[in-house]
Amino acid sequence: MEVIAAGTGEYRAPDPDGFREYVRTHKDRRLVSKLMSEQEAVSRFVADGDYMAFDQNIAVRGPASLMREIIRQRRKDLWIAAKFTWTDASLLVAGGCVTKIDVGWMAAGRTINQAVREGRLKLIEWSNGALAYRHLAGALGVHFLPMRYLAGTDTFTQSGAKMIEEPFTGAPVCLVPALYPDVAIIHVHQCDEFGNARVLGAGVAPMEIAMSSRKVIISTEEIIDNETIRRQPQRTTIPYYFVDAVVHAPFGCYPGSTPGLYGADIEHWLQWGAAEMQGKTDEYLDKWVHGVSSHQEMLDKLVGEAKLEQMRQAETVREGYYE
Amino acid sequence: MSDQLSFTDIEANICTIANLVEEDKLYFAQMAGAPLMAILLAKHSRTPNVGYVVEEGAVAPSPTFPLPRMMLGASRSHYRAVAWYGMNLVDAHAALGFMDYGLLACLQVDRFGNFNSTHIGGTYEQPERRFGGPGGANEIASQCWRTLLMTKLEKRKFVNRLDFMSSPGYLDGTPGARERAGLPANTGPYKVITQEAMFDFDEETRRMRLIATMPWMTVEQVLAKVEFQPLIADKVERMEPPTEEQLETIRTLLDPGGLAVSRGEWITIDSATGQRAA
Repeated sequence: MEVIAAGTGEYRAPDPDGFREYVRTHKDRRLVSKLMSEQEAVSRFVADGDYMAFDQNIAVRGPASLMREIIRQRRKDLWIAAKFTWTDASLLVAGGCVTKIDVGWMAAGRTINQAVREGRLKLIEWSNGALAYRHLAGALGVHFLPMRYLAGTDTFTQSGAKMIEEPFTGAPVCLVPALYPDVAIIHVHQCDEFGNARVLGAGVAPMEIAMSSRKVIISTEEIIDNETIRRQPQRTTIPYYFVDAVVHAPFGCYPGSTPGLYGADIEHWLQWGAAEMQGKTDEYLDKWVHGVSSHQEMLDKLVGEAKLEQMRQAETVREGYYE
Repeated sequence: MSDQLSFTDIEANICTIANLVEEDKLYFAQMAGAPLMAILLAKHSRTPNVGYVVEEGAVAPSPTFPLPRMMLGASRSHYRAVAWYGMNLVDAHAALGFMDYGLLACLQVDRFGNFNSTHIGGTYEQPERRFGGPGGANEIASQCWRTLLMTKLEKRKFVNRLDFMSSPGYLDGTPGARERAGLPANTGPYKVITQEAMFDFDEETRRMRLIATMPWMTVEQVLAKVEFQPLIADKVERMEPPTEEQLETIRTLLDPGGLAVSRGEWITIDSATGQRAA
């Protein structure tokens, strides 16, 4: 197939066979408990230099507690897929963890702007959909997938996509390389100890991200019995064999919301926003991340039961999630 | 003294788009902010049964009001959808041709309806100000049959040359440019809506064309607020300013926290004449 145009953006060469070998040698097929602390999960499964993906964002059902643990353990040089994100990318950049971002959408404030200006952060353009689709390609175990957008734009030029004449009719088609992240962090509503995980409600691409990532850490609002999973198998989003670690993290999306369970802590967002505008993200991180040893300690010491109760009350919809 | 009505430019856009919404079509709405407000206003007033999807996978939801301040995929904005999927599936619905209209906002637009949501000023590598990126706009503007774009009528937004083309309009404007680039056939930007004027695109030249103005604006005043010279329709229609009722719905039900509309520029008109109040 002849390439008729190519973006200049950096991408990791898709390696489905490498992925398969990894699965063969590293992934546990047994039904064994993968319950562990966030400290253990991040220390075992997130390495400096990893490509890291996450589902949703720090506003809704994102893995915020795991992100804070990654910052706490001072992971460096991560390459992240920022699709459909909010302040997640800035938080990780402020934490010194990230040097490359595949951009779909992110809240790009002072942190991101400054890091780009100083050359500490490299951006590569995609779109939300293109990144979700690259995960889908990874989830299908192939090298690439064709699609009908990105073409013709500067976004294409700054991406790693390529245009070809497709071999069946000769029509111009955009190809995107499959994305096989090293590690995925995914926050879910319910999960059993083996890693059978339920995302309740709309998600961005939790299944595709879990399937395409070598290492998968699930944080979950609730640990449920395997028996409960087996009674309603149609509710399982991610089956156990994709999962390496299960972390019990109630309010794991704090300060964001988990639909059906709790609303967001809006005041906390304002604190982060103010910290970013004033160039005081270090103070924010000292308080909310480095100043505590765990997510639970942050909830106990800095958030408090009264606030958590307010957040529970702010969620008025259970229908569709739990009913 | 006659009654006056005050609204922001963003509220004006929301109301204008809400008036354009057709109940027998499907919409793919940018998932937060003014484009979503526009479809919600339509749903709440003229077209209660209109269907829309948002990119995180909610299909034809019926949100409960008032909406929470954090709209991003929150439970109340996904309430009573007909299906909850993920991004790949709803993008595929657009790829299959089911989405009649995409509803998007942008930072800059050029005469062919190409638009920018990535950076302003500088170069791609060293931007003066980096913004969030295309988000879902590229797939929406590429794959929906028609795209409704909203922005503010300002010289720095209607530019001769985009700082970055995040998402496609009619590209270089030549016939078949989108198809040659590999985009789905017969798609493209349909209207550009602003607080003071509305544009469409000439079918042959694909150039933006002024088709309507708010009552307080003349064609000359519109032209003074754009960097390029748009075509001008033979008959430039008069746009309807927002109504009290629409504004009340936005302020009390759709955006009670004022997040989407608070950053707008205020416009005050005389209700009877539609002219700017002194």
